[in-house]
Formats: sequence, C-alpha cells, structure tokens
Amino acid sequence: MTETKQLQPQDVLAMAESLRPQLGSGFRDEIVQSMYTEAQRIVDRAVNKGSKKKWDLDQRIDRLVTSPIFGLPIMLLILAAVFWITIVGANVPSQMLATGLFWIEEQAANLFTSIGIPWWITGFIWHGVYRGLAWVISVMLPPMAIFFPVFTILEDLGYLPRVAFNLDWMFKKAGAHGKQALTMAMGFGCNAAGVVATRVIDSPRERLIAILTNNFVPCNGRFPTLIMLATVFVAASFPPVFSSFVAAGTVVGVVLIGVFFTMLMSWILSRTVLKGEASAFTLELPPYRRPSIGRILYTSIIDRTIFVLWRAILTAAPAGAAIWILGNINIQGVSLAQLIANFLDPLGFLIGLDGVILLAYIIAIPANEIVVPTMMMVYMGVGMMTDPPSYSQLHTLLVDGHGWTMLTAVNLMLFSLLHNPCATTIMTIYKETKSKKWAALSVVITLGTAFIVTFLTATIARLAGWV
Amino acid sequence: MEGSFWILLILLVVFIVAVFFLPRYGILSRWQHYQKSVEREALEDALKYIFDQEQQGHYVHQDALRGALEISAKRIYSLLDQMESQGLIQHEQSQIILTENGEKLALQIVRAHRLWERYLADEARLPLNKVHSVAHRREHGMSSTQIEELDAALGHPLADPHGDPIPNAAGIFRPHEKGTNLNHWEENTPGKIIHLEDEPPLAFAQILATGLKLGQTIRILEKNNQRIVLTDGENEFTLAPAVAANVFLQELSETDQALRDAIPLTALKGTQPAEIVQLDERCQGFTRRRFLDLGLTPGTTIYAELENAFGDPRAYRVRGTLIALRKDQADDIWVKPLPQA
Repeated sequence: MTETKQLQPQDVLAMAESLRPQLGSGFRDEIVQSMYTEAQRIVDRAVNKGSKKKWDLDQRIDRLVTSPIFGLPIMLLILAAVFWITIVGANVPSQMLATGLFWIEEQAANLFTSIGIPWWITGFIWHGVYRGLAWVISVMLPPMAIFFPVFTILEDLGYLPRVAFNLDWMFKKAGAHGKQALTMAMGFGCNAAGVVATRVIDSPRERLIAILTNNFVPCNGRFPTLIMLATVFVAASFPPVFSSFVAAGTVVGVVLIGVFFTMLMSWILSRTVLKGEASAFTLELPPYRRPSIGRILYTSIIDRTIFVLWRAILTAAPAGAAIWILGNINIQGVSLAQLIANFLDPLGFLIGLDGVILLAYIIAIPANEIVVPTMMMVYMGVGMMTDPPSYSQLHTLLVDGHGWTMLTAVNLMLFSLLHNPCATTIMTIYKETKSKKWAALSVVITLGTAFIVTFLTATIARLAGWV
Repeated sequence: MEGSFWILLILLVVFIVAVFFLPRYGILSRWQHYQKSVEREALEDALKYIFDQEQQGHYVHQDALRGALEISAKRIYSLLDQMESQGLIQHEQSQIILTENGEKLALQIVRAHRLWERYLADEARLPLNKVHSVAHRREHGMSSTQIEELDAALGHPLADPHGDPIPNAAGIFRPHEKGTNLNHWEENTPGKIIHLEDEPPLAFAQILATGLKLGQTIRILEKNNQRIVLTDGENEFTLAPAVAANVFLQELSETDQALRDAIPLTALKGTQPAEIVQLDERCQGFTRRRFLDLGLTPGTTIYAELENAFGDPRAYRVRGTLIALRKDQADDIWVKPLPQA
C-alpha cells in the first residue's frame, strides 16, 4: 500500500475556493444553457410536432379573452356566473343539511334528558359543541363543495392565468403580482384556501403581500351576513321592485371596497415592511386544455374542501362550547354573554356598533359563520345559537329592540369585510409563512383597518347628524 | 373592599415591576440591548471607515473619524478606548491604525455590507441608489455563520452591484479588475462600464440620474476640462470630470461585441422573431434564475405573441410556451432581430 496523504474535507474546500475566481460570473448560465441545448437536441430527434391547428385556436381564444374590449366583460361575466351557481346551488343542500343536523341534535338531546342526564351536560354537548359544528358545516360545506370544483375547472382550462395577465397592470401599481387576482378570487370561497393558493406566486415578496391582504376579500362565511344586512337595511329603504337589485349592488359595492383596501394595503406593505424581500414577475400562460374531471374532484374536494372544513371543525367545536357557556351561566339573572356585551358597549358605540356585535366577533374568531347566530342568541335572550327570524321581524328586533340604525348596518358590513382573519386562516398563514410575525401582522393590519375605518364612518355620520 | 384594594395594588406593582425589569422582555433589558447594538454599530462603522481610509493610503485622525461618524467628542473617546481595549486599533502619535484583529473584523463588515448590497439589488430588486443605505443598516451584528449562509445563498458572488470586490471568508479580496477611470479612457474607443463608485453618494446619484448603468457599452464623444460627453449609440450622457472619475471602463470582450447591435426585448415590434443574445448583467439573482429556468438562454428564438390592453405585460412565445413578462424585466433581455419567417 502506498503512503498517500489522506484528502481532508477542508483541503477540498480550500481548493474549491481557490478555483472559484477562475469560474467567472456566468458559469451558472453556461450550465443551464448546455442543459437546454441537450434537451433541444433530444426534442428535435424524438418529438414529432403535430398540426398547427390547435395553436391557432389557442391564439384566437387568447386574443379574445385578453382583448381591450371583451377581456374585462368576459372576466366579470364568468365571475358572476361562478357566484350565481355557488349561491343558488348551495341554498337547498344547506337547508337540508341544517334540517338534518339539527334534527339529530334535538333527538339526541331528548334522549339524554329521558335517561336522566343533567341538563347542563346535555346542553353543553348538544346545544353547545354539536350545534356549533352543525352550524359551521351546514353553512360552509355546500358553497365550498360547489365553488371549489367550479373554480378548479377554470384553473384547469387555463383561463385563470389569462385573468392574471389582464389585471397585472393594476397589481403592478400596488407593488403586487397579477396572480394575486387568482388568490383573491379563491378567497371568495375561503380565505384559508386563498392563502394556500398563494403558492402559485413564485416571488417571495409578492406572495407575502397576497397572503397578508387576502382577508380583505369576503369569504363565503361572511357573505350571508353581508347579504342579510344589504337586504334588511339598505334594500328595505327602496321600492320592492328594485330591492333585490339594490341588495346585490350593495354586496358588490362592499366587495369593491374590499378590493380597494387590498390594493391600498398591498401598496403600503410593498413600500414598508416588505421592502427588502425578494421579488420577480414571470407568468406562464399554459395552452388551453380539456379539464380532467377526476383530478378536479380530487383537488377541489380533498385538497381544498375537506382540508378547510376539517380545520374549521377543529375550531368551531370549542367556539360552540364557549358560546353555550356564555349564554347559560347567569349572574344575578343576567347571562354572562349579556354582561360582557354590556362591558363592550362603549367600545362598540365608538365604532358605530354595539357590545353584542363585538362579543359575537370575539367568540366567532374560530369561524365567521357563527357571528349572526351568536348575535341573535344574545339579542333574543335564548341559551343557544339561533337563526335570525324572518327579515321583517329581524328589522323590528334590531331597530326597535336594540337601537340599530343605518350606521350600525353599514359599519357592521365594513367591519365584517375588514376585520381580522378567522382562526383557521391565521393558522394557515402561520403554516404557509412559518412565521408568527407574519401571522400576527395579518391580524394587526386587518383589525387596525377595521377599527380605523368604522371609527371614521361613525364619527363622520354623527358629526353630520345622519344618525 | 379593603382587601381587594390591596390585592389590586400589589398586582399592579408586580405588573409594573415586571414590565420594567423582566429579563429579556422588560423595558430595561430591551433598552440595554438597544444601547449595545447602537454602540456596536458605531464601532463597526468606525472600523469600516478607518479600513477604507487605510486602503486608500490615508491615515485617520480622531477628528476626521468623528466627522465621518457624526458623533459627539465624548462618545468618540469612549469608543476609541473601547476599540483599543479590545485590541482592534493602535494609536501612533495622533494617527489611528488598525491592528491585525481590527482589520479582520473590518473586512468581515465590508464583506457583510457588500453581500447585503448584492442581495438587495439581485433578490429584492431594490433601486441601486437605495441599496447602500439599506445594506448599511443590515450589515451590523451578523455572526460569521450568518454571513457564510448569505454568501452561499447568493452563490459566492465576486463583486457587489457597484462592481466593488467582496472579500472571502478569510478576508482576502478575490482578484478583480477595477478597469480604467473614464477620465483616462481614449476618445471614440468603445468600452464597457464595469464599476460605478458609490461614494460619495452625491456623485453616484448624479451618475444614476444620467441613466448610465453597470455593463453598458459606451464611447466618449467629447472630452474637455468642463465636461465629458458619452454615447451608448442612442442617447448622450454629459458628466463633469469630477463625477466621471467615479466611472470605470474595460475593453469589450467577444460577447460584448455581439451585444452591440442587440436591442432590448421590449423594443421588438409586432410578431418579429428574434434570437436571445444575452441576459443583462444587472439582472441577477432570483430573476435571472427564473429566466434561465424558463429556458431564456442565449440562442433561443423568441417573439411577442400577446399584448395586454395596457401594453404591459407582454406575452412571448419561447420554446413552444407562452410566458408573460413585465416591461422592466423584458428590458433585461437582449435580442437580435431575425428575418421574418
């Protein structure tokens, strides 16, 4: 055996260090170029290019959907259609689910009572935890199970990158990425899913912007609240013929306000906290493809719907428990919920709301679906989450019974739009960014905006003597 | 009633004491931490300044250092004392000289600063005139492991975005060419800008304001004591000789020659096909990697296919796929128009 000096790792490193200056700066480029040259050689030999026909069709569709005249209308039309299908399609299954799930609750509660289990155990388990779960599932599941597959079809078709292409000029001005339009659209379904969807944005800075501002898009947990308020308060002051148009117009208006705040916040973020983060814009426009149904069902049901639903269930059960406890523990004949609401009243007044609404929002941090039922529970003085009565009764209950005004309704809509993300979304932001700092920031900026905006509208309305 | 008052009072006192004196999170320890970091920053800035002056062959006096750091006379004494006790500097008569350790530390800070500049320009795509000040804030308090990680993440760059060399971990500058000062460049000989000195900032701002860029090919049209007029073939740039002393040129290499009749991708009209000549030097880091990933390598055929209603972004057909690029990015891709197929 010959005596050779053992090569030590540090020797190799030292050698690499000494050789590095000779490489020049472009050696990475050369590596990539040689790889592409080789790939091209193989392609030229092995791939038989088909006819140019499909290409021409693709180009024609591209010209149409990105044209200055038709591009925007087509986009709005498709978006409106998606909403219409979701809302109309989810109505019946939602009610069926609610009927079924609440029937189970009633039967189970009766069973518990009949075998002599104390009322508070029955109440806590069935009217608290179970009711919270049932509520979230029946409100959340049907719209998501419709919205996500429809959205995935558009994704699969290849239409969505064209939307990003069309709208990029707007996002560029705000320092954001065109693909944020897609994650925002996803946010209509669920903000947590919207946050996950920001993975399509490959540039770190723009991705963080999209994550932090996604909550300014109202998700389907908040839409029912907006629709209810728009119908009961805004539309009610118009003749019945127009009322449904006015209600729809109001909801669209609220969404546009959300878009405005998204842009404003993106602009501010990209120029302040996110200034030093990495950034780049490239957008691939894939060829149009026929969607594959199996994959769509898989990604939209398993990846999105079940994923979001599971997280919501995890947070809704404790919320249901908390609501039941607050509604059923009485101190000197007044429920804990009412007491806390009274305590929060001054703060609520300051921003044009009241203590009950703030309480509902605090309890509903896990899931926005239960804001209205919780409010109804306290307003009507019952011990569990309750459906609002018919719209005219609701109007009487809120206005005559609890001093609501137009300002309360408008500010509640604004607060619902701008306030902090639900627990599921906050958890998702933490998981996606792997940083408590960004998760906390997402709460601070949204809650801060909500308080400032509602405080301003309340103050202005009061100074101007509108209320 | 009496009892609860005392309990509340005690709780309040405990709370206030905790807020002030809690280790790590208390206001007091945060303030101390902040003070320490301010001191460390001043020390590092002082080291860098002395090192810089020594590199240029000047010796540093106390007053000059105080002026450069903009701190009070009292603080400069304590700072110098501290540096001397740590064995970073020596006094020789009234001159301040770095010890070996001091030089080592100074080099590490220079390294951190230039790596940060590289990161900010390449990855964060910060405008070049903002890079220096942000890097200046971030360079402090980095451990050598952190610096190594930054270096590795950037792919061991040789020079900062102004063209200044980055010393390696052992504190050795890698060999690099500084080029020829614009004042000494011959008229009408084309040259490539390889270095723009960023100090003093005023002169650097003037250079940037004219639109001159690193990697640009220029030649001198006119040169006298008042001004130097340059051209890149399209635009003319006028500089005062004092400012021109901060611009350094190098002779053109082969690829630079090829680049001379190339146009930026944005200047391509209609569906005119073109061949990619090169990605611009200033396009580095994340964007460059993305471009290479997408197959935008020299020699590739590219043409514009789809334009946004607002003209930006534009989608280009490359290797059979359609890729949308914003204007400021497409500007970094140099192409040579091909005859229409």
